[in-house]
Amino acid sequence: MWFEDFPLGEKTVLGSYTFTEENILAFARKYDPQPFHTDKAAAEKSIYGGLIASGWHTAAVWMKLMIAQRRAAVAAGAQAVQDNFVSPGVREIKWLKPVRPGTTLTYVNESFAKLDWPTLPQFGLIEGRNEARDERGALYYSFINRVLIARRIVPG
Amino acid sequence: MDKHLHFEDFAAGQVYSLGKHRISAEEIITFATEFDPQPQHLDPEAASASILRGLAASGWHLCALAMRMMVDGLFGRAASMGSPGVDEVQWRRPVYAGDTLQLDAEVLETRASSRADRGYIRFRFTMSRQRDNEQPERVMLFVSSVIMGREREKA
Repeated sequence: MWFEDFPLGEKTVLGSYTFTEENILAFARKYDPQPFHTDKAAAEKSIYGGLIASGWHTAAVWMKLMIAQRRAAVAAGAQAVQDNFVSPGVREIKWLKPVRPGTTLTYVNESFAKLDWPTLPQFGLIEGRNEARDERGALYYSFINRVLIARRIVPG
Repeated sequence: MDKHLHFEDFAAGQVYSLGKHRISAEEIITFATEFDPQPQHLDPEAASASILRGLAASGWHLCALAMRMMVDGLFGRAASMGSPGVDEVQWRRPVYAGDTLQLDAEVLETRASSRADRGYIRFRFTMSRQRDNEQPERVMLFVSSVIMGREREKA
């Protein structure tokens, strides 16, 4: 699938992930060893009142689910995008609620904008809104992703 | 031993150097296997055929690595209480196995909170690649506010 064909305004459920004490500790010990992410007793005395996941753990899970969802869609007959995902960055990462052990978040993506990317004119930029909510619909995490997709026709 | 830092110790214009890290192929592949299993992050051969032209770290890996460098270089000796988010992350250049990365944090703004025990510090984090005989090249930038405990409660 090319940039020109990329659909906007479609909500895609990327999948769900359960944060456990084990995966919260494993991520945080490696990448974010602050006491409220790595030490249960210290976390209880922190402003969070207990262990919470690193925000970057919540963020990285989105990528994991996005890749798995696209692969499943392609396996089921959807058109693959040209090339692999390359992103120049993301915007407006919001860690809205602490993610505690036992929380299952479902991530949803909706592409909403197509933009030119003048430094790499053979690509166009897609922007999408992303949200992660628990079973009761409470919003924990949101951000805007940006991905470069090859154009069928290079302008100019 | 450095002093433990609180909200009151930060001021706009300060720059903290948060250290250096040489990223290995093994680290890139380990992160990507769990969180970003695309060929350009997993397979050196497929990666050299991609537009990145070599095994490159996932952007999310660079964020996680920056976080580790922040904790080791600053927050481990500061009253950091987490962050509500990030304004914008820019992945400006691919980062390859073997690159030596440096992280710097510039204080953009300090802001009181309605809560007496904390305030917000707005940082610009810059990750740069240092290669022999070359100027450092900025590979990732992001701007983020961090909640920082006060040494004395605000009156």
